[in-house]
Amino acid sequence: MTASPAIRPDAVAAPDSARGPVARHRPTGPARKRRRGDTLAGYVFLSPWLIGFFALTAGPMLASLYLAFTDYNIFQEPEWIGLGNFERMMEDGRFWQSVQITLVYVLVGTPVKLAAALAVAMLLNFRSRGTGFFRSAFYAPSLIGASVSIAIVWRAMFSTNGPVDGALNIFGIDIGGWVGIPALVLPMMILLAVWQFGAPMVIFLAGLKQIPAELYEAASVDGAGPFRKFRSVTLPMLSPVIFFNLLLEMINAFQVFASAYIIGSGTGGPAGATNFYTVYLYTRAFTNNQLGYASAMAWVLLAAVGVIAFILFRTSRGWVHYTGDSR
Amino acid sequence: MFPRQRRSVIAGSALLLATALGLTGCSAGGSGGGGGGGEFDPEAPVTLNFTWWGNDDRADRYNRLIESFNEEYPNITINGTFTDFPSYWEKRQTEAAGGGLPDVWQFSDTYLRQYGESGLLADLGELEDQIDLSTFSEGLLATGQLEGQQLSLPTGYSAWAVFQNDDLLTQAGVEPYEGGTDYEEYSEWMASVTEASGGAVYGGTDYTQRIQNFELVLRQQGGNLFTEDGQLAFDEDDLREFWERGDADRNGVVAPQNRLEEVVPLSGFDSKFTASEMSWSNFLAAYSSTTAASHITMVPPPTTDPDAKDLYRQGGLQMAISADTEHPEAAALFLDYVVNSPEAGEIFGTSLGFPASTSKLEGATLEGVDAQVAEYLESVEDRLGDAPPVPVVGYGALEQTFWDLGKSIGLGAVSVDDAVTQFFDEASATLG
Repeated sequence: MTASPAIRPDAVAAPDSARGPVARHRPTGPARKRRRGDTLAGYVFLSPWLIGFFALTAGPMLASLYLAFTDYNIFQEPEWIGLGNFERMMEDGRFWQSVQITLVYVLVGTPVKLAAALAVAMLLNFRSRGTGFFRSAFYAPSLIGASVSIAIVWRAMFSTNGPVDGALNIFGIDIGGWVGIPALVLPMMILLAVWQFGAPMVIFLAGLKQIPAELYEAASVDGAGPFRKFRSVTLPMLSPVIFFNLLLEMINAFQVFASAYIIGSGTGGPAGATNFYTVYLYTRAFTNNQLGYASAMAWVLLAAVGVIAFILFRTSRGWVHYTGDSR
Repeated sequence: MFPRQRRSVIAGSALLLATALGLTGCSAGGSGGGGGGGEFDPEAPVTLNFTWWGNDDRADRYNRLIESFNEEYPNITINGTFTDFPSYWEKRQTEAAGGGLPDVWQFSDTYLRQYGESGLLADLGELEDQIDLSTFSEGLLATGQLEGQQLSLPTGYSAWAVFQNDDLLTQAGVEPYEGGTDYEEYSEWMASVTEASGGAVYGGTDYTQRIQNFELVLRQQGGNLFTEDGQLAFDEDDLREFWERGDADRNGVVAPQNRLEEVVPLSGFDSKFTASEMSWSNFLAAYSSTTAASHITMVPPPTTDPDAKDLYRQGGLQMAISADTEHPEAAALFLDYVVNSPEAGEIFGTSLGFPASTSKLEGATLEGVDAQVAEYLESVEDRLGDAPPVPVVGYGALEQTFWDLGKSIGLGAVSVDDAVTQFFDEASATLG
């Protein structure tokens, strides 16, 4: 850094006017220096983020990779146990329970959420009065959805004599509060996720606006109805956006924590119904002091999400169409 | 996203930096432990870090205590901080790993083995010049002892009790439970409350969910939860029998678990679903405020053997000094002030448990709920036995597991047999 202020003035002044066009095409001496200076400045401006990334994310991640192969309770030095944690995982009933709950949540919640987002995005794609208002209104839940307060409100809504119970009573359905019934807690969690469809909806909306109107016109001329247009124009044209949303929402769903932690009072209750993967990981690490085991679980999750993302990318060649792409 | 060669540059520097960080991280841990070398100068200016768990009320009392302490020792500055109970232990654990535990801190006997066996606590017996141990009974001193060392001191004690909401009982038209009967009689009484109120109020909360009640039953038979060397002192059959004991009550007598799930973290008694509940005697003040009942009656828990010394003085709330404090004597002066001074008795009453130290008790004026707790403790004097062995490492987690399984049984999500298996699996993983 110290050298650059001295070099810069003449590096800028001399060559640019003298041999401007040449310098632009084939960077020699001073111009190359300037470019290097820019690169350096770029990294300097990036440095807060880089330091944060390496110190707070990459470093701890590597540390946890090591801890995954140890028995570590914070109080004693980590003790190397090889694959012990992973073997224990295979036989741990609560681990498999958490896997099952999380998979159901991801495999049911994500498609339903995306379908809701796409449906609302298509409605909002019609030009009519108040679209702007509804767009904001539908987007709002996804802004506040991950917050602790919403999880608390959700809990209250699904309690005995809460709004949901009351509404169901009107139709003669009397199941009481959902919060205390293990079988109904997961559906309740999925509903909370689906309700936050705003973020993918906005992306869908942007994607829908990109589809050229001519395609629809041409389809109409050929006699296509609304369903046919949706299937043969909208879906293929939107497939890159669907792919993007699917990937993002799926990864997010795997990491659900705050709402599960609040609704299950931090213990995975009732009867383990909110024992999501991340909640169980947290319990193992910070309630039971089994940091080695928790680290191993974290890496298994990372690997699983990685494999699923890889499979999605692989299959995407078959169903995702990029315009201007010959494939 | 990045051009290929750029990506490898970034990956390379990532590895380098991470390795560097790993190395520095390792070297930071080894320091500490060098305190207490020089001669103690009582006049020297010293700053101590002090931390506790609790609510605003407790914070206010501690701040008043620190003010009063500074009148006597103006040279010792106390930096006080506090959080709630669960995050308190998460923080201490990370501090224990990094070597930054506070000088003086509120402690719990549940964690005595964990922190004591790792050498993180100072031996208070070596700080006799500053701390008066003669004001404590042998039994209470034992709650902070591990392998001959006095690692922490109780601020107060409590005993297990049955709490009853008199307002709800009056509404139902049922006389309060007399206490100290056999368990069948308690169950019959609970059933009569549930019946009399037509299900609006339940007679009690399923007591088989709490490990403390299991401990009581074991002690009535002359046993305990744990052995002196930190192993389980009961077997599968004991636990199965205890959980099955609640089968009849769970069939419409005690509050249904799915309703209780909705009010967590409040209990059935807190939220006025149930007319009775068992807990520690120092819960009286908290129960009075959550239920807003005009009066709460405390009676002794049921027992299988009226002559058994099943109850005990639980000195769970304690004070400790970190082994690596740089000012052990100054820290000891402050700790002594919290556990022993009449001023602490005056400021805290029974809110840190019934004062354990005689000198602290002298300063306390016992009125209202404080007087009621004192009266209760006196009334069960004959049933108070020796404190159980120091809780095993990971007892806090096992206690929670026990409770969670009890709730799952109540929800019908797990059978008693499966719950027993799960508890023992968890215990063997915890106890190693």
